Amino acid sequence: MTLEHTNATGLTVERDLTVARRRRNRIRYHATQLAVVVAALALVVLFAVAVKEGLARHGIKFSFSFLWDAAGFDISEGKTFVFDSGFWLGFSDFTSDRSIAQAFVAGIVNTIKVAVLAIVLSTVLGTLLGVGRLSTNWVVRNLSFWCVEFVRNTPLLIQLVFWYFAVVLHFPPIAAAAKFYGVIISQQGLYVPALTWQGEGSAVAIALASACWVAVLGLVFDRHRTTRWICLGALVALPSLMLATGTLALDFPVASKFQASGGTSISPEMAALLLAIVFNSASYIAEIVRGSIDALPKGQWEAAASLGLGRRDTVNDIILPQVFRVVLPSFGNQYISLTKNTALGIAIGYPELFNIYGTIANQTGHSLEGIVIVMASYLILSWIISAAVSWADRRLSNPGAMR
Amino acid sequence: MIARSLTWSRHNLFGKPFDVLLSLTVIPGTLWLIYQAVAWAVGMAQWDIIPQSLRVLMIGIFPADQAWRSWVAVAIIAALLGAALGCVFAFRTRHAGFLALVLAILVSMTGVNTLAALTAVLVIFASAWILTSYVPMSRRVLIPASFTGLIAIFAVMSPPGAGLWGGLLLSVLLTLVTAVLSLPIGVLLAFGRRSRFSSLRMISTAYIEVMRSVPLILVVYWIWILMPVLTPELNLADVVRGMVGFTLFYSAYVAEYVRSGLQAVPRGQTEAARSLGMSEFDINRSIVLPQALRVVVPPLVGNVLDIFNAAPLVFIIGLTDFLRAGQMILANPQYGNRTYEVYSFLFFTYFLVGSLITFVARKLEAHLARGSR
Repeated sequence: MTLEHTNATGLTVERDLTVARRRRNRIRYHATQLAVVVAALALVVLFAVAVKEGLARHGIKFSFSFLWDAAGFDISEGKTFVFDSGFWLGFSDFTSDRSIAQAFVAGIVNTIKVAVLAIVLSTVLGTLLGVGRLSTNWVVRNLSFWCVEFVRNTPLLIQLVFWYFAVVLHFPPIAAAAKFYGVIISQQGLYVPALTWQGEGSAVAIALASACWVAVLGLVFDRHRTTRWICLGALVALPSLMLATGTLALDFPVASKFQASGGTSISPEMAALLLAIVFNSASYIAEIVRGSIDALPKGQWEAAASLGLGRRDTVNDIILPQVFRVVLPSFGNQYISLTKNTALGIAIGYPELFNIYGTIANQTGHSLEGIVIVMASYLILSWIISAAVSWADRRLSNPGAMR
Repeated sequence: MIARSLTWSRHNLFGKPFDVLLSLTVIPGTLWLIYQAVAWAVGMAQWDIIPQSLRVLMIGIFPADQAWRSWVAVAIIAALLGAALGCVFAFRTRHAGFLALVLAILVSMTGVNTLAALTAVLVIFASAWILTSYVPMSRRVLIPASFTGLIAIFAVMSPPGAGLWGGLLLSVLLTLVTAVLSLPIGVLLAFGRRSRFSSLRMISTAYIEVMRSVPLILVVYWIWILMPVLTPELNLADVVRGMVGFTLFYSAYVAEYVRSGLQAVPRGQTEAARSLGMSEFDINRSIVLPQALRVVVPPLVGNVLDIFNAAPLVFIIGLTDFLRAGQMILANPQYGNRTYEVYSFLFFTYFLVGSLITFVARKLEAHLARGSR
């Protein structure tokens, strides 16, 4: 047996081979990595050049300076940030002499307005529907099931145009509108009483308002249940005190022949968009709630029953608290898709972000720059929602709780 | 009988005080609503508008003398759907009676002059179903056949002008094309998102996340205005640009479904394949992907429903889909007071198609769950 045939050299040679192979693999890995990056960059550059050339052919220059030009068009409803009073940031109605950037802001504000209202309303309605699908009452159970199925199996857009053209626009005109407790429902829009601030300069009023704000903060952020209850009580007591002392006043809408004044108005477009999105999202939320109630172990129901809890107590104190921890991420996804769905407002002329973008693109021709702004806005909105939901998720999840 | 129904209602309607309250308020309200709806549908509604404008609803402004082209397209779609159905559920004799019933209902709705064409379409549907049910070889060619079928539809429908496509046929075509094309792109993106290469991972993740955070209507509009700027010499039709937008958007969703399926494949499968000496590409193609796709078939069918429900959004690029065709009819001042009739028909059709897709997805889920037990 010669030295070459012994195990020792064989091992060395093999180790050398392994090292060589590892190095080769590493080089191949980095080369691929580099190739991907270069290809992606080349694609982006090519895309940018093609867009720039295409725009140059139409005589348009890619730049964001158009944002500071005067808009020159009006928006049917919408508030925006203004800098009129010098240093302070104001918040007032959009008019055609404002800049295009302010028009974008008005669109974002309108989108957020509908999204926030719809998130609150559809969560409540969706939870009710989801619990209704598991009701012991046969009629309620089946009614909830068919409502949810119908809404989920038809397009949102047809629901939206139906609500607008076949329901809201068929409301009675304002002279013959339905009125109860200060709420007016008419073709020209919905009018609800509004709270108005009367406590200008009064120290007591400002103190009361600050106390309210502290109570809100305590209700949301405090970890102790008792403190939260106290804050909730304060939130009921303080505004009533403010109403009693006249710092806050209720402003009731008053209907005249063609329009109503006072109070807060919801335009027919916004009402239709809100109705469509709330009912649509509520069905999806109902499905999420029902799915997670079904997914809870049966032992939870049985343990509650053996403790002698009634069905309502079981649902309120045992089932729903657990369900809400499980469903929060799904709710977050639904909230994001709800916010995206507000873009359908363009079909009925509600001036949300996408609709205003369309007007701006028509007026100025800067459609590509506008797209960048609109995309960024929707991305940021989505991120805010998912950050808020994951914050709530962390806060609600007790250590050791069942996931 | 009476005693049993009394027991039933005591258990299901009047079990507890709260249930009694609910029943007493909800049942009369529901009955009143149903009575109003039926009274309107039977007494007041003038349904003659639906047969009169059925052609517009189905194929939009496609020229009437070219309608045979749309029938050919419908036949190809029927063949593809039948073939896909046969891969999962075998054709049984009792299904023939069901198809005859569908034919009778459709003919009674549309009139006798469509009898021959509808019969032909249903016969093609049934024969494709039978073919894939009992000839396993034919399942192998399903994917190439579906691409060929889509190309054939384009070839048949294009001569009068792609701008004329419309109605329910456009919605269905858009859904089919998007569903078929977004699958390969989605699979690539899903693999990209879990690739060894961080650059690929980052690009895929960014694409998926951005597409999932912006509204579809924005993507469609964006692609629609961007494509002429990028390729001025190509001059693509609005329909094609809409399909590109839909495909790019839904690829991101398909990628997420496929990724969840990829995660469901046990690690042991990959490791076993690797120890057999298979290359990474072969492992992914013939071990991981088939098992992953099997898991995600039901959610992917649900995704087809999402696409179909999103199809009316093409109004933003000026196409006349089913919903828009209905609105077009209502825009005619002669039919101005038929709002509820037309919307009822639209809702009914959408609900029918949507429920059918949901039903298939549920059946598939049960079927696949049984297979893996």
